[in-house]
Amino acid sequence: MDLYKLALNNIRRRKLRSALTMLGIIIGAAMLMVLLGLTAGTTTAIKDETNAYMYDIAISPESTSGSYLMDSQTISQVENMSNLHDFREVTAFSEDMNSTKLFFEGVNNWKDAKIINGTQGVVVNQVAVEKLGYGIGSKITVKGDELTVTGISKEAQAPYVYINQTTARQMAGDQVAVIYASTNGDPKTVADEVKKQLSGVSVETKSDKVKEIQEMTDQALLFMGFIASIALLVGIISVINTMLISVMERTRELGVLKAIGFTNWEIKGSILFESGLLGFFGGVIGVILGIIGIYVVANALNLADYIPGMMPVWLILGVIVGATILSVLAGLYPATKASKLQVVEALRND
Amino acid sequence: MTNHILEFEDVWKTYHMGDSDVNALAGLNLTLEEGSFTAVMGPSGSGKSTFLHVAGILDIPSKGLFRINGRQTSELSVKEQAILRRNEIGFIFQRFNLLSQLSALENVTLPMIHEDSEKAKMILDKMGLHGKYHKFPNQLSGGEQQRVAIARALINDPSIILADEPTGELDTANANSIMQVLQDLNRNDGVSIVIVTHNQASAAFADEIIHMQDGKIKVDEK
Repeated sequence: MDLYKLALNNIRRRKLRSALTMLGIIIGAAMLMVLLGLTAGTTTAIKDETNAYMYDIAISPESTSGSYLMDSQTISQVENMSNLHDFREVTAFSEDMNSTKLFFEGVNNWKDAKIINGTQGVVVNQVAVEKLGYGIGSKITVKGDELTVTGISKEAQAPYVYINQTTARQMAGDQVAVIYASTNGDPKTVADEVKKQLSGVSVETKSDKVKEIQEMTDQALLFMGFIASIALLVGIISVINTMLISVMERTRELGVLKAIGFTNWEIKGSILFESGLLGFFGGVIGVILGIIGIYVVANALNLADYIPGMMPVWLILGVIVGATILSVLAGLYPATKASKLQVVEALRND
Repeated sequence: MTNHILEFEDVWKTYHMGDSDVNALAGLNLTLEEGSFTAVMGPSGSGKSTFLHVAGILDIPSKGLFRINGRQTSELSVKEQAILRRNEIGFIFQRFNLLSQLSALENVTLPMIHEDSEKAKMILDKMGLHGKYHKFPNQLSGGEQQRVAIARALINDPSIILADEPTGELDTANANSIMQVLQDLNRNDGVSIVIVTHNQASAAFADEIIHMQDGKIKVDEK
C-alpha cells in the first residue's frame, strides 16, 4: 500500500487535530496574504500618485523669460546632454473659453489622468464639465483645431483638458513646458551643470520628500512581511507539535510498519508528506481567506481600484509554497525520530 | 535436498541493564529447515522473544552468526534488512497489530510495493474472510483479525512466517482454528513457520517443539 495514501488517511482519521493544526497555518497564511497584499496594493497606489514627481531633475523656462514654453532648439539641447537620460516632456498651455481659463496638458501616461468615464484621447475634468458644460462628444476649438471630448476625469482645482503629449506639443508650436529627466550622477551637481550650459531655464531636483515616501513604502512592505511571517511561523510550530504527538501516539503502528518491511526512508517520507499536506492545505485555505480579507479591507479603505495589485501571483504562490516547505521542514524532526524508532521497543509500546 | 531457512551459530544477545549485562540469548545453536513447522516454548525470560526478534531481523545478535536463507543479517544495511523483512518474512503478532484506520483489504495490501487487491482478496478468501474485505479491524472478531494478520503476513509470498503468541488473545476454538490455518499453510503450501507460544495445545500443531531456558535450547522434541 502506498504510504502516502496512509499519510492522507492519518489526516482524515484525526480530523479535529489536523484541522486545529491547519488553523494555525491558515491564520498565518491569511495574515501574510492580507498584510502583504494590502501593503503591496497601497505601495502601488502611492507610487502611482507620486509617479509624476519621479524624476531626478525638471527643466522648465525661467519665470523671468516671459514664456512658459521651451522651443524645439532648447529641447534638442537638453536631450543632447550626455549626463541626462530617460526624458519625459509635458506641454501645458491655457486658452480663454467664454472668459474662463481652460488649461490644456499633454499626457504621457493616461493612467495619470484618472479617467472616471469614457476613454482616453481628449479628456476633460469635472471642473471643466461644471464650468464650461462639456460632456463626452462636446467639441472644443483651440488654436484652430477641433477636439472632440472622449472622456471625463476626476475633479481638479481648475478646468483641464488632457490630450496626448504629441498632440499638445504640435498644438503649442513644437514647444514643451517642462522636461523631466534622470541624471547620470548626483542630480544637484547635474542640475548646476545644466544651468551653466543653458540660459533662460530653471532646473529643479526631485523632492527629497517624494524619495522618502517611496523608501518608506518599500520598508513598510518588508516590515509587514516580517510581522506576518511570525504569524505563519507560530502556525508552523504547531505542525512540529502535532507531528511529534502523532509519532508518539503511533509508535506501535510505526513499529509494525517497520516490522513488515517499510524502510526508514519510507517512514520518514510518509511523516514529511503528512506534514507537507497540512502546510499545503493550510496555505491554500489561508490564501482564499486572505483574498476575501483583502476584498473586505480594500473596499473599506476605498482602495478597490488597487485590488488586482494586492494579490499578485508571486504572493499567492509564495504563501502556498512557503507554508508547504516550512511544514515539511517542521516535520523533519518528528520524521527523523519516527524513522529511528527501535522496532522491538516500538512493538512493546502501548 | 532441503535448505536451511534459519541458522543460529553460537548466537548471543546481551542487554545492558544498569550496571549488569543480561544474556537474552546465550550461545544459541539451531538450524531450521525449509518447510519446517517449529514451536518455541519456554518460561518468561527464557529468551524465546529475543530468538524471534533475531530470526525476524528486528534485532541483530551481539555475537555469533545468524543467517536467513543463507544471508548473514549482521552484514546487511538497515535498508537491506527492511527489504529482506518485506520479501522473506511474514510476521504475526499476539495482538494482531492491524492498522485500525485501514480496512481488512488495505491492511493486507499494506506491505506490497505494487498493490494487488485481487491477490489480497484471494488470500482473504482462503482465510475464510470472503465478503469482509472492507470491514475495519474493530468490526471483526479476534479470530478474524488474526486471520487478516495471517493474510498480511502471506501477501509477499514469504519464505518463513514468524508468529509471536498468535493464539495468546484468542479463545480455545479460535486458537485451534488459527493453528489449523497455519498447519495447512505449512503442509499444503510448504511455508516454513516458527511460532513462539506458552500454549501447549497450540505448540502441538507444530512438527518440532523447542524448549528454551536461559537463552539456550533445553529440549528439542521432534
